[in-house]
Amino acid sequence: MIRKSLFAGGGLVAVLAAAVVLEARQAPQEPDPAAAPAGERSQPIQFRHDLHAGQFRIDCQYCHFSAERSVDAGIPPVETCVGCHREGLVAGRTNPEEVAKVREHFESGTPIPWRRIYKVSDHVKFPHMRHVAAGVTCQTCHGEVQEMGVLEDVAPEAGGLKMGWCVSCHLERGASRDCTVCHY
Amino acid sequence: MAVTRTETAGGGMERRGFLKAVSAGGAGAALAGCGTEKVERLIPYVTAPEEITPGVATWYASVCGECASACGVRVRTREGRAVMIEGNPDHPVSRGGLCSRGVSALQGLYNPDRVAAPLRAAAGGFEPISWSEAMDVVARRLGGQGPALFLTGREGPAEADLLNRFVEAVGGQRLILDPLDDVALRAAADVAFGVRALPRYDIAAARQLVSFGADFLETWVSPAGFSADFATLHGVDHGEKGRFVFVGPRLSLTGLNADEWIPAKAGSEAAVALALAGELVRRHGADAGPYTELVAGRTLAGAAEAAGVSEDLLAELAARFAEGGVLALGPGLAGHHGAATAANLAVLVLNAAAGNLGRTLHVPAAPDSEAASPRRDVARAVEQMAAGGFDVVVVAGANPVYALPPATEFGAAFDRAPFKIAIASTLDETAAKADLVLPGAHPLESWGDSEPAAGAYAVRQPVMRPVPLFDSRALPDVLIDAGRRLGHDFGAETARDFVRQAAEARMDELGVEGADRETRWRRLLRRGAVQTDDVEARDGGALRPPATAVSFEAPAMEGPGDLVLLVHPSPRFGDGAHANRPWLQELPDPVSKIMWHSWLEMHPATAERLGIRREGEVVRVSSAHDSLELPVWFHPGIREDAVAVPMGGGHDNYGRFANGHGANPQRLLPDAEDPASGARSVVSVRVEVTPTGAWRRLASTEGTRDVRHHQDDRNIALAVALSSMGHGDEAEGHADEGGHGEGAHGQLQELQQGGGFVPVPTEGKAADFPLPGSDFGEYGEPQPRWAMAVDLDKCTGCSACVTACQAENNIPWVEEREVLNGREMHWLRVERYYETVDASGGGPLDVRFLPMMCQHCNNAPCEPVCPVFAAYHTPDGLNAQAYNRCVGTRYCANNCPYKVRVFNWYRYASENIPEPMNWQFNPDVTVRDNGVMEKCTFCVQRIRDAGNRAAVEGREVRDGEVRTACQSVCGSDAITFGNIKDADSTVAAMAADERSYRVLDALINTQPAVHYLKKAVFHDVDEGAH
Repeated sequence: MIRKSLFAGGGLVAVLAAAVVLEARQAPQEPDPAAAPAGERSQPIQFRHDLHAGQFRIDCQYCHFSAERSVDAGIPPVETCVGCHREGLVAGRTNPEEVAKVREHFESGTPIPWRRIYKVSDHVKFPHMRHVAAGVTCQTCHGEVQEMGVLEDVAPEAGGLKMGWCVSCHLERGASRDCTVCHY
Repeated sequence: MAVTRTETAGGGMERRGFLKAVSAGGAGAALAGCGTEKVERLIPYVTAPEEITPGVATWYASVCGECASACGVRVRTREGRAVMIEGNPDHPVSRGGLCSRGVSALQGLYNPDRVAAPLRAAAGGFEPISWSEAMDVVARRLGGQGPALFLTGREGPAEADLLNRFVEAVGGQRLILDPLDDVALRAAADVAFGVRALPRYDIAAARQLVSFGADFLETWVSPAGFSADFATLHGVDHGEKGRFVFVGPRLSLTGLNADEWIPAKAGSEAAVALALAGELVRRHGADAGPYTELVAGRTLAGAAEAAGVSEDLLAELAARFAEGGVLALGPGLAGHHGAATAANLAVLVLNAAAGNLGRTLHVPAAPDSEAASPRRDVARAVEQMAAGGFDVVVVAGANPVYALPPATEFGAAFDRAPFKIAIASTLDETAAKADLVLPGAHPLESWGDSEPAAGAYAVRQPVMRPVPLFDSRALPDVLIDAGRRLGHDFGAETARDFVRQAAEARMDELGVEGADRETRWRRLLRRGAVQTDDVEARDGGALRPPATAVSFEAPAMEGPGDLVLLVHPSPRFGDGAHANRPWLQELPDPVSKIMWHSWLEMHPATAERLGIRREGEVVRVSSAHDSLELPVWFHPGIREDAVAVPMGGGHDNYGRFANGHGANPQRLLPDAEDPASGARSVVSVRVEVTPTGAWRRLASTEGTRDVRHHQDDRNIALAVALSSMGHGDEAEGHADEGGHGEGAHGQLQELQQGGGFVPVPTEGKAADFPLPGSDFGEYGEPQPRWAMAVDLDKCTGCSACVTACQAENNIPWVEEREVLNGREMHWLRVERYYETVDASGGGPLDVRFLPMMCQHCNNAPCEPVCPVFAAYHTPDGLNAQAYNRCVGTRYCANNCPYKVRVFNWYRYASENIPEPMNWQFNPDVTVRDNGVMEKCTFCVQRIRDAGNRAAVEGREVRDGEVRTACQSVCGSDAITFGNIKDADSTVAAMAADERSYRVLDALINTQPAVHYLKKAVFHDVDEGAH
């Protein structure tokens, strides 16, 4: 059901990343931010897709706002987070200290330096809107994001984001396999 | 590779700060490398600006600030960065056209030599200071008792108003410096009509056109607008076109577009124009007002002698004038000699006699407020400055130390001024001498406005936040701030407010309507310009008698030599202000095709007389004032008694791309003027030319070193005689034939029997893609076939398309040394072929321009030779190059008959482009690295973008929806692009035109997708050849 509602939104969960990989997926109810790799390889804020997209069923495109109309899915501005996580509105019961960080960023006017997880090579053009319009779900490339905790690695479903994986799907769906569809 | 905004772990905060400011959250901030050692960051906005969607371009309408023409532009921004500039079709004058200089504004914006912070002169150089310190100094200096001198360029009305009010408030004097302003024409209009303003020429409404040297397609008044008009007049329509005659000693780019050339001596414009008017009066009873008697005494024989041309030529031209509807232009800067006002007046009198007043020549009711100051005012200011007459000298938007002849001794006088303030974008020759340098904002970061035509108004808006590496401020903001500190209130807090107020007032005046002020203002910003049409009534009208007697004697040329020196504005650099831009340095000059350095233009016969045997021989050019060493370039389009040097070279302190390239011809010029107008003399000296014995290779794209620069019998740029057009039977046969007989084809078949490249035996049209036998899979499905049509009859060779292509497609420049190695990277070049040019006799002129880019052949010779299938054909007909497959064998380039493939020998793009010039990179196009072959893609990124949008909206791509970069700046609308399989498309109609042909197709059956439409000429064309 969760998956279905996400499809209906046609959303794409974009490029974000997971600190806790398999553990998080097996036991999303018990996140342990302290277990996340420290330093630059971890996400600055332990944002949990399983809570937002899974438990609360927020449409992917609520945050990744441009997936439907742009080549880029869009990373939400801090304003979007604070839109819900205002004082006295949504406190962030599970990880109040992480929510506090978000507010700090907003108040100090500094963007959140998310670590990028999903990235195709520079010479590849991946127009999100075209895939959304064709009914490709976010999960097809990004994995079952609604079941993941903090994104730190590319989901195994994503075939390492390699060309063979892209082409196999294009083959399956009868989409163009011309080079200049993605490379120019 | 696409957008290399890399941030490695622990990267500097500066970059991060920048990304915060301008990057869209998201993949727009694409980062390099995929290894695990690199951590890439996605930096979202804190608060997202409403107008930005990451990955989607935002366009802003604005006004180009590169010269006083102030054309309308549309600037494409991605994630808050300007990445491309195109013409604004809604602009009433430029109508979608833009020149190379306009496109290169991006390299002014992102120029690495821009001043980064206010600078104060200190021992041994400059030291950076804060803006508040700097403004304190400005206020203190301008608040003193002594007089101040302001030297500025020609500004838009709002900025000029603010400047004038400021100068008045602080008790100073303002002089306007613009070496390209036609001061003499304004003075002549004052004598003729009593209005000191540039007349408005309606070239599109004329039937024929004569230019007495004015380079209206390059730098004169409004080249983009004139290009559109000229295309209307001169483009063939139903078998007819308006003839264009060029009168003057040198064929500029404008001159090369003429159908006939009268190679009149420099300074003989008045004699010719008056004699033509005389013929009209004597033979046809024309009225030249108070000048009727004067011109009646002027004979063609006298004019022919003065001009050094045959009387028959002039008689022919006179007969054309008698037919009516012939508009005369000029002489522009080519007539800025000792009798410039008289020359301009003579042409105005000729227009009056030809009945053009109120028809194709309109006289504005009010004088121009922003006009370059007469030379004598400048000379007086220089004297005063040298004598310590000014406490403060402020220079803004001008570079007089470079642009004025050294004979004026401006530099020495400027040095003596007690305090000098420069508001400058780069530390140019003038700013380098200043005591305080304020970094000026680029026009793309600034507010401003312009009045492009009577009844029209355009507004300039910033298209992005100021480039954060440079702490710059726009001139109006500096003035408002300084005013505040000095206690002067200009009624606005910021430049934006000031311009908004000016715009509201002007729109009220013009009666521009809108639901409310806000709606009207927003509409103005969105469209860029408004035009009301009830203002034509205020036409000045008739000629009036001159207040003082005007002498129409030929001007004296100073100096001992026997060659007149023609100093002319460069179509690339103007007066030199655009020299620090690598796109323009590496743009082949539209006339000479030379890049990066200056040259001396000389007729081959003159060279022979002087003992100069080959192009590139370095000669010393000496006037009474100085001498320059320049390589010779042979130009059949210049009189034998003249030589020419373009302006714009020889900077010694302007920036890394300008310094040391070429020579500055101002050094040869005197500090002289036309006494009647005060116009600075540009054509006024004779020079001696002596060989030095040295030689240098010319960095030129022209392959043939033949003196005549002919296409020989290669039949590349074709023409058709007007008289033979419109015969139905020819239409079929001519399309796709390329004028070749069976002979050539027979030879080819013989060659093919010997093996090697064997094309499939079809002679199909572009729409026939895919070729029989290859139509399976995706190739068998209904797909568009993208194709282009280029109308050679409209192409003026201006080369704006070349720069636009370079900007759109991340094409690097390679610098002079690599150009000399034949490694220039342009995907598009404009070929220039001389067919008929006669500098001694004049008469019919036929010079052809042909934009040459990848022809996207159905039957492409490059494809079968690629061992790795990097060159291949897409199902929608593009000849594609898959960069990541390319291993750099270069077989494809060797096998391309059109020489349109270029190879990255080095990391020109990834390593040679300094920060922040690489910010201009188009994020939709891969930046190619070394070892990769590349070429025109038909702007595939635009095709895919249109396809994506159409798919999301569930429709087909519409005709005209995909516009290539070259097409989007073309002022004469010579380029059409679309799906040729769609029978209703414009490109299909063009391809079916009777003038349509494809280059080399008839010879080697390449079946290109690019169709050229033959130039229509008045003279006969040898059928079967050209």
